Amino acid sequence: MKAAAAPFSRGRRAALGLALPLAALAAWELSARYGTVPDYLIAPSRILAATWEMVLSGELWRHTADSLLRAIGGYAIGGAAGVAMGLLAGIARPVERFYDPIVSLTYPVPKIVVLPILIAWLGAGDASKIAVITAAVFYPTFINALYGAKGVNRLFVWSARNMGAAPLQVFAKVILPASLPQVLTGLRIGLALAFIVTVAAELQNSRSGLGYLIADAENSLRFDLMYAAIIAIGVIGFAGDRVLVALRRRALAGQTLGKEGAHG
Amino acid sequence: MADAVLRSLARWYSVPLVLAVWELLARTGAVSRRLMPSLVEIALAVWDAIASGDLLFHAGISLGRAFAGYALAIIFGILLGVAMARSRAFDALFEPIFSFGYPVPKIALYPIFIFVFGFGNLSKVMMIFLECLYPITVNAFYGMRGIDRVHVWAAHNMGASERQIFWRVLLPGAAPAIFAGLRIALPISLIVVIITEMIGESRGLGYFISYASASFEYSTAFAGVAAVAVIGFTLDRALVWLRNRLIFWERGAAFIGAA
Repeated sequence: MKAAAAPFSRGRRAALGLALPLAALAAWELSARYGTVPDYLIAPSRILAATWEMVLSGELWRHTADSLLRAIGGYAIGGAAGVAMGLLAGIARPVERFYDPIVSLTYPVPKIVVLPILIAWLGAGDASKIAVITAAVFYPTFINALYGAKGVNRLFVWSARNMGAAPLQVFAKVILPASLPQVLTGLRIGLALAFIVTVAAELQNSRSGLGYLIADAENSLRFDLMYAAIIAIGVIGFAGDRVLVALRRRALAGQTLGKEGAHG
Repeated sequence: MADAVLRSLARWYSVPLVLAVWELLARTGAVSRRLMPSLVEIALAVWDAIASGDLLFHAGISLGRAFAGYALAIIFGILLGVAMARSRAFDALFEPIFSFGYPVPKIALYPIFIFVFGFGNLSKVMMIFLECLYPITVNAFYGMRGIDRVHVWAAHNMGASERQIFWRVLLPGAAPAIFAGLRIALPISLIVVIITEMIGESRGLGYFISYASASFEYSTAFAGVAAVAVIGFTLDRALVWLRNRLIFWERGAAFIGAA
């Protein structure tokens, strides 16, 4: 290990962190204005202007709302089912026995492969997209809830029983709080997946939503719209993650268990 | 023998159970036969697709793309993660890109990748590379950072050189975390290759499945899904096997279904 260098000051660290993105943006802006670059590299300032225009006209909101509806719909169903089943499997052996072979066989399979078949079953509308998002979210939330519940210190459970807690009380007061950090980790991974699958499904087959907006703008060579949609997707993904991190901090306030870093 | 069969049946009973329910639904006509082909029909479709060479052709193309992007991500991800963990300047330069970019669905950039890298293999390989780079880099970084200082001090004390410390202490210490990143990235590489092939391509398993589905040949589409399932499962097992070989001093990679 290196001899400990003086740590960078906050300001210097922030300046270095901004250096690469800013340099790239500046190079992009300058070459788009004065150089000869392909059409799709329109200047960042023009992209921002187009994005702002779409925000004002309400078109961006409409597509964003459609995408969010699908993502949150699938996330709510898949996350609720995953957490409930995972916790149940964590405390009840027969339930774990049922799920373990199925989940371990299908876990490494990308769920998006069934999208064309789901479209045949449920139509090309929201239902098939929500179904595939549900499937994608279920796995990480299930696995994390299962291992959260299984990893609860037995001593806590025994103590609670000893002091006369009913099984339901043990679940609500011991198992649920103790497995919460890992449940939340699963929910965080699931949210990122929900957005990825939403965009992928909309890119592939859709009449609305941000993924559709990207594909449609690309086809009609409206690159400003394409970038606006990409920016919106990035903002949503980032904001959703921040919301979950903030919720996690509140939910786990005072709890010393499971204090991992920012990365899930 | 009979005992072992019974025991593995007891452990795996739910898989045949689900398949039996599927077969029952398909046979009784509770669900339209066309939408939900029976397992026999799917097996025949798998056989046909293998016999005609289609399945192996498309699977080979998808695997080639996935491997190329995955391998690039492994090389650059580990290098970047290690560099960020070892150098403050690297950390300050790249940390924001990784922490801000992590939750952003990078697949949204695929249309731009098509413009930059063309419609063929390269845009897909680069998309897989980008998506896999994040978990691999972040895990390598935390693996290197999480090493107990006492181990490094002990090695120093016993006269190990910087180089020896890197190869004998730091890298083995970070290896479990690095493999955790590789295991997260592996299914991502398959997801991205399938998605990009579904969007605009005339080769690969993603295309195979969406084409069969669009031409109402659902048993062929299910054959493609089965092929992806087998590939995903086999690769994951192979990675766990490799990990347990290389990191023989610490077990417990297989977080689920570990036999």
